[in-house]
Amino acid sequence: MTTTRLDAPLKVTGRATYASDHTFPGLAHGYVVVSTIAHGEIESMDVTAAKGSPGVLAVYSPFDPLELRTPSTAFLGETWVPLQDREVGYYGQPIGFVVAETYEQARDAAMLVEVTYRRRPARTSLQDGLATAEDAPPAMDGSPPSLSVLADGVESIEDALAASPVVVDATYRTATQNHAAMEPHSAVAVWEDGTLTVHSGNQGSDLQAQELANALQVDPAAVHAVNPFVGGAFGGKGRTSVPAFLAAAAARALGRPVKAALSREQVFTATAGRAATVQRITLGAERDGTLVAIRHDSWSSTALDRSFVEPTSHGTSREWYSTRNLAISQKMVPLTISPTTFMRAPGEAPGSFALESAIDELAVALDMDPVELRLRNNSTAPPGRDLQWSSKHLDECFAIGAARFGWADRSPQGHTDGDWLVGLGTATAMFPALRFPATVGITLRDDDTAEVATSGADPGTGLLTVLALIGAESLDIAPERITPRLGDSALPSGGMSGGSTATASTGTAIMVAAPKAIDELLALAAAPGAPFAGRDVSYADGRVLADGGSMTFGEVLRAVGRASVSVTGSSAPGEEMTKHSFSSFGAQFCEVRVHRWTREVRVSRMLGVFDAGRIINRKAARSQLMGGMIWGVSAALHEGLDVDADGRPSNADLAGYLLPVNADIGEVDVALVEHPDTLHNSVGARGLGEIGIVGMAAAVANAVHNATGVRVRHIPITIEDLLVPPVRGS
Amino acid sequence: MRPFELIAPTTVDEALATPGTFLAGGTTLVDLMKLDVLTPQRVLDINDLPLRGIDTGDGLRIGALERMSDIAAHPGTYPVISRALLLSASQQLRNMASIGGNVLQRTRCTYFRDVSSPCNRREPGSGCPALTGANRMHAVLGTSDSCAATHPSDVAVALVALDAEVRLVGPDGSRTVRLADLYRLPGDTPEIENDLRPGELLTEIVVPRLDWASNSTYVKVRDRQSYEFALCSAAVALDVRDSRIVDARVAVGGVATVPWRLTAVEAALRGRPATLATFSDAAAGAADGARPLSANGFKTSLLERTVVRALLELTEGDRA
Repeated sequence: MTTTRLDAPLKVTGRATYASDHTFPGLAHGYVVVSTIAHGEIESMDVTAAKGSPGVLAVYSPFDPLELRTPSTAFLGETWVPLQDREVGYYGQPIGFVVAETYEQARDAAMLVEVTYRRRPARTSLQDGLATAEDAPPAMDGSPPSLSVLADGVESIEDALAASPVVVDATYRTATQNHAAMEPHSAVAVWEDGTLTVHSGNQGSDLQAQELANALQVDPAAVHAVNPFVGGAFGGKGRTSVPAFLAAAAARALGRPVKAALSREQVFTATAGRAATVQRITLGAERDGTLVAIRHDSWSSTALDRSFVEPTSHGTSREWYSTRNLAISQKMVPLTISPTTFMRAPGEAPGSFALESAIDELAVALDMDPVELRLRNNSTAPPGRDLQWSSKHLDECFAIGAARFGWADRSPQGHTDGDWLVGLGTATAMFPALRFPATVGITLRDDDTAEVATSGADPGTGLLTVLALIGAESLDIAPERITPRLGDSALPSGGMSGGSTATASTGTAIMVAAPKAIDELLALAAAPGAPFAGRDVSYADGRVLADGGSMTFGEVLRAVGRASVSVTGSSAPGEEMTKHSFSSFGAQFCEVRVHRWTREVRVSRMLGVFDAGRIINRKAARSQLMGGMIWGVSAALHEGLDVDADGRPSNADLAGYLLPVNADIGEVDVALVEHPDTLHNSVGARGLGEIGIVGMAAAVANAVHNATGVRVRHIPITIEDLLVPPVRGS
Repeated sequence: MRPFELIAPTTVDEALATPGTFLAGGTTLVDLMKLDVLTPQRVLDINDLPLRGIDTGDGLRIGALERMSDIAAHPGTYPVISRALLLSASQQLRNMASIGGNVLQRTRCTYFRDVSSPCNRREPGSGCPALTGANRMHAVLGTSDSCAATHPSDVAVALVALDAEVRLVGPDGSRTVRLADLYRLPGDTPEIENDLRPGELLTEIVVPRLDWASNSTYVKVRDRQSYEFALCSAAVALDVRDSRIVDARVAVGGVATVPWRLTAVEAALRGRPATLATFSDAAAGAADGARPLSANGFKTSLLERTVVRALLELTEGDRA
């Protein structure tokens, strides 16, 4: 199918109601006060002037806190809540909340809050912390931070590398990043008769409702989280946000609806972002390019609470290539920086910059085509594991991509075009195919329409449209007759829209629910007194069929006096996990142009060819992948949160934290090889939300090397990295 | 943003008689008011003043309230001015921002714009974190131990290259000064950015006639292709006859605390053949006197390269 997303007209005409668009009679406005030191203790907060400022209703602080407990849920673990102690662990940490009649009054008053700190030294350098790094906790699959796979008779990874005829060894670095979603973290909270309704962009309304109930110590049934529209999330709205906790608690304390939104600057500190990483990779190979050994040691920054570790080696080298010997490790360096969390392809995105740069370096060392080198080491299963990939067509991705991109014309030394040095680069992309538990409700209505509903979120991913498309297919009716619903904790639990799982998870649940709905319909149709009483009935094309006649399901429902039939279907990862390994795959290509004199890098064209199983909606899939690829360019050339030695971010706004503008993005081409993977789930679709970003930063860096001969081992790559003489060709 | 009084005078005399902070396009002032960097009690919206018009009769006279977008599109504007404008900000900002406000805009230094940081320019004597902190965007020329913030304007670089003058009207009468002389190096008093007197209003920009400036351009090097300030920029004009450089104008931006004229480079170009060798030799002295900080040392090399590139583009065209 190729369908325009159902919510597109609402979104492009401004009629979609996002969280902070909601307003209620008596709405009060909150403004978050944040710390201006990175590490220490709050000695005092003088809120006298703020409280006396016009329109101010309340000023909350660690000395006069809102009542919030640290919530703990099975899926997310513990989530930090503000104002509960006087500790400051990072610059821009929420430490206060001013509520006033208007937003401007709250903001003005917040600027009058005087804070005195007892400072402790800030620790902001990942590099300085490498020597004292701690082992990371076990990876999400439970594997230990360090692990190795060695061939029979090989004693150590060092021995395997020593025995390799060709070795490359280099250290790579990636920057701290922020999701910077267009919609800042925000919330509107309303209490009515002991029940809380919270409008707040989030990746899982039921999980958000659980966290809020837990934090506010109320019955989970008394919290209703609503977010049918989410203005971007990318992993950064997995947990309940600070504005949601504060608005909910303040609304309860004040007996008025409260709205709160972070300012753009606050989004960079008062949320959580992507960790900075350092990665050392050593590759050993035969002269024909066959990998003998991969060693990948990773260090990730994390906040003092050790909130999240960016799993770069586990996310890439653990699985990507066929190798007889493998050793990976993951360490973390706690710093006085904002918390870290999931960001699009956590682990895989920065990990692939390192691994795919290293593979390119090996190709150069071998004087071998980088595509050929990758295919020579194409794996049929992760190293040391018996479970083969369920459906892997990476070779096809590279073949199609190389032909479409003109890879055969690439020179190992790049070429010039006027004053521009031109280079081509490539990289592999992989992202694990996952599913989370999900439940979907299906309701057949007597007007011949059906509702397909789940609590999960559509933060721009296209899930709403997927519900309609898979729902229509499963019920054998036109998509126009489906009313999809999501983003509401009152709906059947869809869990987290994250991990590139939503299509596979909810789609499978739809395929479980639909037959149940049809069975129930058929039972009604054949029941005593019903139109097809006692007859053999079947279902097709939205109709109940029996010998000599048929009726639409709406006609059947009307005939038996039922307004609707409702069922739920659930799915979760199961037995398939014991039979195969699962991943999506892709081949990234890009062309860069570097100015001979001033060394700006421009990405003139890029192509991604992806193998993500069956594609449900080609249009949305293509957009999603393009967005990821563009973000990969952003990571490669633009993005990085710079933190001063005292912990203050120096570019925490969208003027200083650079994202590409339209002029930075040339031609973007996406191709899909569509091999349904029904070994993974009955829909046959694997995730594609995150794989678009994976590998692209390396493809850019590899293209820069091809163009200039300069190997840059960190991102973002900026002009000064390339100002080294000699300027080739000049 | 703090509460303030807003007044909209309709004559220059009325504006000069009323103490307050002038508001034209608002793209700097409102921004800094939101950040609490500027907290004027009274704001004078001067957009109704008769300070408009672009006159190309003898030289180029531009009313201070003319918008960047209108000047860029005017057929009588020199290419270097037009290009510098079009490479600035975004179309939306260019539609709002006035030329008078543009040449007087405040620095983009991250510490200047953050009231929780010390800044000698904002709070004299409080210190300068940029000297050891985030200084990649900062100046290498015209700096002092007090301040190394760059002047962010593109078009001011072009105007300084063309010897533009500004007309200033104040309570004590009017005067005309060279734009280059209006700006002050930070020295020990970075809080004083220019020689504007209290209450003085910039009413007009005058670019002296320079026919050969029809052969001029502006090259801006930055971290993304649009909506970003210069790491380095160069405004150049060349008078080339029979492949020989008769006269030249060169000024650079993004590398200095004020728009930076390179008269020594101009002198090194005069009388020489218009070749890459000449350009390279002349540009080799462009960064003389530079004082790099921890993260902006690359700007000395980039400065030379940008000047060479601009001169090449002027003589050979922007190839591909």
